[in-house]
Amino acid sequence: ARAPTTRFRRRSDVRSRVVDGEAVVLDRRRQLVHQLNRTATHVWERCDGRHTIAELGGELAEAFDVDRVTASRDAAAILRQLEALGLVEADPEATTVQGE
Amino acid sequence: MTVVDPARPTLPGRTLAPGRRVWDGGVAPTRRARPRPSVAAADAVEVRAVGVGVRVSCPDPATRRLVRAHYECLLGDAVPARIEYAIRTDGRRWQLRRAGRPAASALDAGELLLQLDQDLLVQLQRVRADLFFVHAAALAIDDRAIMLVAPSGGGKSTMAWALAHHGMHYLSDELAPLELAPLSVQPYPRALTLKDAPPNPYPLPLDTIATSRGFHVPPSRFADVARAPTPLAAIVFLHRGAGVARPAVCRLTAAQAGARLYANALNALAHPNEGIDAALNVVRRTPCFALVTAELDATCAVLAVMFRAAPR
Repeated sequence: ARAPTTRFRRRSDVRSRVVDGEAVVLDRRRQLVHQLNRTATHVWERCDGRHTIAELGGELAEAFDVDRVTASRDAAAILRQLEALGLVEADPEATTVQGE
Repeated sequence: MTVVDPARPTLPGRTLAPGRRVWDGGVAPTRRARPRPSVAAADAVEVRAVGVGVRVSCPDPATRRLVRAHYECLLGDAVPARIEYAIRTDGRRWQLRRAGRPAASALDAGELLLQLDQDLLVQLQRVRADLFFVHAAALAIDDRAIMLVAPSGGGKSTMAWALAHHGMHYLSDELAPLELAPLSVQPYPRALTLKDAPPNPYPLPLDTIATSRGFHVPPSRFADVARAPTPLAAIVFLHRGAGVARPAVCRLTAAQAGARLYANALNALAHPNEGIDAALNVVRRTPCFALVTAELDATCAVLAVMFRAAPR
């Protein structure tokens, strides 16, 4: 699992648009197009290398009227998915792996 | 009745209802040793597709009949040809030529039509790069167009054929060319091509042409064929529902529909920003639905009611 201090960046060659609060993400390199729900879109838009996982959890809690624990867990899960899809990359300067 | 053409062992036999026409191929041997560099207009099929003149020269009468039947609702208008093909046959196989590409060989009529269709599709996208081409069937009702979007084998053509029995007009089968402003579907009513015979109560007409590619229904067999650009009123993304008892429809958000539309766009890269804005522009202005299909007749009934109720 990523440390709560990890920051993510959207891949620079991925194109995205937000329409009615939901993102459409076009990954030409992998020939895939993704549609993100509102929660994932909120996280996606903040993958700019400045927000940590912990901060994103806090922002989700404020934006979606959900408790902080749930929001942090969801933010981490969304980032895991986005990273697994290759859409975001962990900022190497701020990345540590828990347990190491 | 199993029909097997003894002269063309490579043409797979098709089981058809008695009286149905089977394409017999250009089996008469040609006496010409090599193709002529040009042919008279009488030997050619002239087509106008999305406003583009297309000429297919076919000296072999049987091949010409096949091509004419395939594009019969696109024949006619005398516009200068911007895309030209030549088809020659030696009685055993066909050669499809277009300047700028290697000649392609086809061993049967189905293969020939497939190659012609596919290359024409690419050329039309090149000439009409302003249009947004979607892999979809399109029908019209009350001067409003409905697009049925699905990947190959997703049931678009079968659904289009069935919906034509529910009062809908035929606009296109494999290809829906969208004009983005004003948002409308350009007609492309070539022969509807079905991989399998549809179930009752949607029988194929007697003059359906059977090839190795499937069943080609001449567009004139539709009760009505829309021949003018038609404003787009709805997009339906089809999903096969294995074992589903009833069809189910749900409205899609713009992002859900945009991603699906983009995945089925044929020339997205011809548009600015890799076509993502064009796709979203379409779905923002159009009600979009996901339809899980069930038994064909029941699914058509749901769609027919839905389309008649669609906002104008």
